[in-house]
Amino acid sequence: MASRSELSAFLESVERRAFKQAVFAVRDDEAALDIVQDAMLRLAEKYGHRPAEELPLLFHRIVQNAIRDWFRRQKVRSLWTTLLSSLSPSRGEDDEQDPLETLQAADGSNTQEAPAEQLERAQVLEIIEQELVRLPVRQREAFVMRYWEELDVAETARVMGCSEGSVKTHCSRAAHALAAALRARGITL
Amino acid sequence: MNEFQFGDKIRHILNQGLSLDSRKAARLQAARELALARRRPEPVGVVASAGVWAGNMVGDFGGWTGLSLRLLAPIAMLLIGFGAIYTWQQNQRAAEVEEIDAQLLTGDLPIDAYLDRGFQNYLKTRAAEE
Repeated sequence: MASRSELSAFLESVERRAFKQAVFAVRDDEAALDIVQDAMLRLAEKYGHRPAEELPLLFHRIVQNAIRDWFRRQKVRSLWTTLLSSLSPSRGEDDEQDPLETLQAADGSNTQEAPAEQLERAQVLEIIEQELVRLPVRQREAFVMRYWEELDVAETARVMGCSEGSVKTHCSRAAHALAAALRARGITL
Repeated sequence: MNEFQFGDKIRHILNQGLSLDSRKAARLQAARELALARRRPEPVGVVASAGVWAGNMVGDFGGWTGLSLRLLAPIAMLLIGFGAIYTWQQNQRAAEVEEIDAQLLTGDLPIDAYLDRGFQNYLKTRAAEE
């Protein structure tokens, strides 16, 4: 059983990364703060007695579920808004496929000129974060879990609720897409 | 491209971007402290908890010397029984949740469960089939 200090140390170590990851997904700082707060409460209330080594998997799973719930609420909210405000029968097709599998970020970011070779560290960080947001949802999840949270393939698969093969595929595609996007903006790591 | 080296470099850069403004940092800290305050305690054994609970009840009535033994003994047994039943029910509920956790972490949970609105609905269906 994780002690109070172990739980506290874990939450303190993960809260800022979790916030950034939620921002990448929902692109709303306040919503991301709500998601992380709810995840912390759920982890402590329901799984606070679990062993310390189980906390990372549980927490990341809870955060991913909370992000998906946020998207579903947003979808329902926009559906009601559309039904109530629209008088014309213009509507899109029903999408049978899970939209999170292929959801792309909206192309609303500013397209900058290719920067000079020597960029400030903050500029590089900002560009990397912008390109992470533009990745498809599942690719970003897999990449962040594997390389930012340093979970192994099996752990990432459990968090994402998919197969280990899918994790490897998502990670590979994410890494190649991210590298290509950074190269296009003049950044080679 | 070496994917692991690339991921390693990205991680180091992302970790440099974890500074937050004071408002967000304070909110995360408050959330963490609230979570710790609501941390679920470790479930205790049935007999131990019932004994402690019954002992506390006896103490509230002024101890053994304040009551007749003939009156106190059946009351004490009744209270211990109620306490044991209550604790057993709580532990059963906890065990059900832990079952879900174990299935979740070991990947035994079928993919359909993730599509369900709640894991409880899935468990009810499975229990009916068994």
